Amino acid sequence: VIPGRTNPPDLVVRHAHVLDPGSGLDGVMDVRLSGGRIAEVGDNLRGTRELDADGLHLFPGFVDVHAHWRTPGREDEETIESGSASAAAGGFTGVVMMPNTDPIVDSPVVVSGLVRRIERESRVRARISAALHVGLEGKRLTEMRLLKEAGAFCVSDDGLGTASAGVLRNGMMYACSAGLPLILHCEDHTLATGVVHDGVAASLAGIPGSPASAEDVATATALILAAETGAKTHITHVSTALSAALVAFFKGRADITADTTPHHLTLTDDLISTLEGLYRVNPPLRPDADRDGVGEALRTGVVDFVATDHAPHASEEKELPLEEAAPGFLGHETAFSALHTEIVLTGKLTLSRLVEAMGCAPGRWVGEGGRLTVGEPADLALLDLSERWTVDSGTMISRSSNSPYFGKTLTGRVVGTIVGGELVHDRTGAQLGTRG
Amino acid sequence: LGIKSFLSLEHTDRDELREILDLARAHEEGSVSQTLAGKTVCLAFFEASTRTAVSFELAARRCGADVISLSEQASAISKGESLVDTVVTLDRLGADAIVLRHPAAGAASLASRHTAAPVVNAGDGCGQHPTQALLDLYALSKALGGFDDLLGRRVAIIGDVLHSRVARSVIPAFTKAGMEVALVAPGTLLPRDAGAWGLPVLSSVDEALDWEADVLYALRLQRERMTGARIPSVGEYARFFGVARRHLRGGTLVMHPGPVNRGIEISGDVVLGDSSLVPNQVAAGVPVRSAVLTVATGAAQRVAA
Repeated sequence: VIPGRTNPPDLVVRHAHVLDPGSGLDGVMDVRLSGGRIAEVGDNLRGTRELDADGLHLFPGFVDVHAHWRTPGREDEETIESGSASAAAGGFTGVVMMPNTDPIVDSPVVVSGLVRRIERESRVRARISAALHVGLEGKRLTEMRLLKEAGAFCVSDDGLGTASAGVLRNGMMYACSAGLPLILHCEDHTLATGVVHDGVAASLAGIPGSPASAEDVATATALILAAETGAKTHITHVSTALSAALVAFFKGRADITADTTPHHLTLTDDLISTLEGLYRVNPPLRPDADRDGVGEALRTGVVDFVATDHAPHASEEKELPLEEAAPGFLGHETAFSALHTEIVLTGKLTLSRLVEAMGCAPGRWVGEGGRLTVGEPADLALLDLSERWTVDSGTMISRSSNSPYFGKTLTGRVVGTIVGGELVHDRTGAQLGTRG
Repeated sequence: LGIKSFLSLEHTDRDELREILDLARAHEEGSVSQTLAGKTVCLAFFEASTRTAVSFELAARRCGADVISLSEQASAISKGESLVDTVVTLDRLGADAIVLRHPAAGAASLASRHTAAPVVNAGDGCGQHPTQALLDLYALSKALGGFDDLLGRRVAIIGDVLHSRVARSVIPAFTKAGMEVALVAPGTLLPRDAGAWGLPVLSSVDEALDWEADVLYALRLQRERMTGARIPSVGEYARFFGVARRHLRGGTLVMHPGPVNRGIEISGDVVLGDSSLVPNQVAAGVPVRSAVLTVATGAAQRVAA
């Protein structure tokens, strides 16, 4: 779904350090955008509008295949307007919305309602993931072909996963024949009986823990079924080293991809010792070894890309003991900055691989964007990699404020986000001007 | 000024433990009294409790405090008022101390972030139960002669460590008092990373005796654990983890935080026998909680002066 826009006048972004690992660009140059697409990449380009980007970096726009915009049902926590503004503030030009709303996105009428609201409200290219099964109850398959006709991009069981391997297998075969990719949430609820990772911190604090095997067992099931059915399957929020190793084993044996989240790459379960409800998330924060294992899998490409699992919650759902708090973190606005600070500046990942993992690779998965080449949609992110900023509720554009990075000072920040040739997030200030 | 929350015993050192126990003895002997005159102590129990609630209430009243009691059954708590809102209400009503029992770990810590009054954790989920650990230290040191007589003694903590807030408080309390601690439980009733405590893990009461335990501290086995998949049967549990007369050698002491499932954790003829400190533990409740409330409200400084 493309935001409805009038045809904006040409825009030239001048003197930006363009970095696009997908097309091999890495250097200071100009980029001209016209008709919503990238028209020219070179030196001394001219346009009706010019943006002086000296000292800034220009990347392919980021794509987040995992977001909860709480619409319909919990518009007090996020709307398409606020969620897309939050995404744009994080440099995201494309997003996939998860179906576990109220009502669940399991019928064509809910999908078409979302399509209309996206056209009216979204600043970025929002795609709809419909539910894999009715009510996300894991029993009856949804009307996937009708959902696709209404505008669904893919199907997912996010939030709970699919309890029955038999239902999952049927769902994968049906989605495959309907031409719909799947985004799978892998969690075995006979094992996942707690609310945090079952490790040292949980043992000492007395918080009920769920073992890593709750994710690993379900991931193995999903991968085996993906290999058997041939369905295009994306495993979302991989958080354990073993699940990453399972994904590696099935690469080449099945049509699979995987993502992990900024928080699983940067935070660990020692935060449980604070006993604060804020830190409940699903899958839970894991120990160092898993964080490092998943980070290494992202580096090598076994885990293809990053997705945020942006999950806004009202304060009354977070200001509770851990066991009672709702799981989830805000993700869009801090994703790049947190990863740049914690894993690029520390030498664990190259900037180039991070740009690929946030822009190019998820762009390829959704089939649009993620490439800074002539003829492609003009979806770009402009960043100042040296800007230091402190995350606090005042800086958040989301309607909610459940960020695990509050109080942290991060390095690198989005300055502007361009979708279809138009600035949809603009902190460029005086730098934007029209020149002769 | 000088107030102090009791959320856990993590930051309480050996000298502070001794001071609290000394103050408890002073309360028991009657050498201090009315330490809380003019103070308001609020009991907020979000989870059913008999002995802990009664013992806190008696302690507060004997020290001369006004007591406000909110229980789950008869207050806004049952109308869905949140923990934070209840705590803020008690704070604004002028509570000088809030005694909190809650089914979720971390509740006392959350409460303390929303009130200026000291919070005394009367048990939160599987988290902490610090006053239980203090009264256990009190009862045990009294039985052994004194606080310094705890040094080097060996205590085996037996049973459902996984779900036990008592275990999470007595482990640091006994350790700080200079005792050696071992855990005795089947793997299904131990935390996933029980090794984090750095304690020996044994698999029967007999092994605890081979380890030369001086004290057998049995934990309560909740009913719902007896029927789940964590133990095969109550009979098998009692055979390997129940404390029986045959385990008692000269001087072996038996403890339990109560209420006891007779014949499961401790055999019926041992519960109230000569080796048992179970009645002493109950008796320690009022003086120890009097001391805790006195320290929590800052009144201990006046007592000392």
